[in-house]
Parts: sequence; structure tokens; C-alpha cells
Amino acid sequence: MGTVQLALMDRAFAADYNSEADLLAACRRQDIRAFEHLYHSYGGRLKSIAYHIVGNRQDAEDAVQEAFLKAYRGIRGFSGQSSIGTWLCRIVINACYDVTRKRRLETEAPPDQPAPKEQLPLRVALADAMRRINPRHRMVFLLFEVEGLRHSEIASILEIPEGTSKSWLFEAKKELKRLLTEGRS
Amino acid sequence: MIIQCSDLERALRTPELMPDARAHAEHCENCRRELYLWAEMSRLAPSLHEEWESPSLWQRIRSALAAEQPRRARVPVWRWGLAAAAAIILAVVLLQPWHSRPAGRDLLTQNALDEVLRAETTYAQSIDKLAALAGPGLQQSPSPLAAAYREKLLLLDSAIADLKTSAENNRYNTYLRTELASLYQEKQKTLQEWLQHAKTN
Repeated sequence: MGTVQLALMDRAFAADYNSEADLLAACRRQDIRAFEHLYHSYGGRLKSIAYHIVGNRQDAEDAVQEAFLKAYRGIRGFSGQSSIGTWLCRIVINACYDVTRKRRLETEAPPDQPAPKEQLPLRVALADAMRRINPRHRMVFLLFEVEGLRHSEIASILEIPEGTSKSWLFEAKKELKRLLTEGRS
Repeated sequence: MIIQCSDLERALRTPELMPDARAHAEHCENCRRELYLWAEMSRLAPSLHEEWESPSLWQRIRSALAAEQPRRARVPVWRWGLAAAAAIILAVVLLQPWHSRPAGRDLLTQNALDEVLRAETTYAQSIDKLAALAGPGLQQSPSPLAAAYREKLLLLDSAIADLKTSAENNRYNTYLRTELASLYQEKQKTLQEWLQHAKTN
């Protein structure tokens, strides 16, 4: 029986973290409780981001699980230049791409979503249009408008300049507006 | 600045031009619709945030992370043999059985061992009582914290059982006895923590 395992479990019962630096230090010790803290802080957002990329809840949860595993393995290599939340977003997005690639290999590509019918409620039409725009633009729209991240954070997650993030957001909205106008005219 | 329909896109990119664009839109049905749609997208987007309950997701992640934790490598049997041989040689050299020694030295060791065993048994019994006290609440609680405590106690019990077997085979090994005592202490501490938690919640 591992003394190390016991020690880790013992630490897992430690209480809260005073700062992000404390939390990061605990994560670097691979303290599972610290990762649980991350899950409770960012899990909701990560699931939502994953859902919008992979398109269903089951795969979204798989991607989040994979992201946590990757974070756990790679935490010692995390420089701490961005926030842990931002770093996790980047990992989950990459995990989603892996899941999507895997699904594509397993099954035939699903048929394209039907074009929005006229006079759909705007929210439904927007959700549908979002799936049909340029994926890079969609990602910025998702992170900025849906999940409420700042351009500086998006720039860090997608490893693009902040100006590009702003420009892609504009392009996303332009594409969406076009699709919505087409669907509603 | 006087904005015309063709300037609308530029205005949407440039926040400073927006007041002029709005002023223009008051008299232009097309631009008003465009601006409305533009604002509606931002207003509705947060409602696309997808939220759902995933009661088992953290448990799945936790298991996956626990499986990643480094495990202490099992010591090969030959190393135990080597260590035992070294211990015997050391004991022979230190005790020098070929020299005469005061009678009762072995008895003293035996007495000490008996005393340790008696204390150990009493200690184990008191921990069992503690476990019986914590048992029903701990076993029935569906909370993740209770699950973590249950898991820890299982690990401790398994470690105690392993160590007891080893100690039976090496009755005079002080190190094993100390390790066993520290595991009992750990179990006691864990049970007390849980009882404290159960009391405050």
C-alpha cells in the first residue's frame, strides 16, 4: 500500500486555497483536492465550451475528463503566465478536437444541419447559425459572447493576438447576421 | 460625422462611431434592423451557455487522476531475502551469542514485545469502537467527501492487514511495529475527522 498514496489522500482533505498561487502549488503537487477545486470552479464553463464544439453532452463530458487528465499530467509544465482557468480552456478545446477527430473516424460525418426555418425564435436560430460559421470565428464568439471571457484571455487560449480576437468576433457576428437575415427574410 | 448606410459596417467596428450610426438608424429602417440584430446577438448569446448536472463526472475524473498517481514499486522478494540476511548477520555480530550474557535478556525482549502487543490490541479495539461509531453515517452518506473517507479507510485497513501479516512473520522488528502504530494513528485521525465533520454538518 503506497505511503505516497496515503499522504496524497491526506492532503486531499486540506481545506481551501487562499490564492491562485496556493491552488497552483497544490495542483503542482498533484493534489487531487486541488483539481476538485478547479473542477468546481471551471467545470461548468468547460462543459459548455466542450458542448458547443463536440455537439453533445456525452462527448463534452468525455472531453472535460480528458482535459483534466491532461492538466494533471502536464501541470508541472504549466508556466503560470495565464490563469489556470484560461489554461484549462485551452486544454479542453484541444481535447474536443481530439474527440471530434475520433468520432469522425468512428462514424460517417453527420449530415449538415438543416437551414433555419423562417421565423424561428431568434435564440434557436442563433444557436443553429453558430454551428454554420467559420470555426475560428465561432470559437471567439463562443468564448467572448457566450462564455463571457475577455479578449486578452481569448488571445491567450487561442494563442492569437488580441486584435485578431476582436477581428474574428466581428467576422463571426457578420456571418451570423447574414445567416439570421437569410433565415428570417 | 454623418453616417450613411454604407458606413454602417465601419461603425460597427468602431465604437466611437456608434452614436452617429444610431442617429442615422433612427431615420433608416434597414440600418435600424441591422443594429437591432447586432445587439440582439450579444444579448442572446449568454443564454446559449449550456448547463447540466453531471453527478458522476467528478467521480470519473477523480478515479482517472487517482489511477495516474505514482505507485510505490513492490520490493522484489530477493531484496527482502537480502535484507533479512543482513539483519541476521547484524544481530549475530551485535548480540555475540558465543559470549556469555546476563540471563533474562531474551526474556526482557519477549516481555517488551508482549507489552507492545497488549497495547496494540487495546489500541486496535478502541479504534474499532470509533469505527463502529462512524460506520452507519459514513457508509450511508452519498456525499463525495464520505466516498473519499471510505476510500481512505479501505486503503488504511488494507495497509494495516498487510503490515500485520509482515509483523507476524518478523515479531521483533521494531520498524514494522512502529509503521503499524502510525497506520493505526492515521486511521484514528481519519475517523475522528469524519466524526467531527458529521457533527458540524
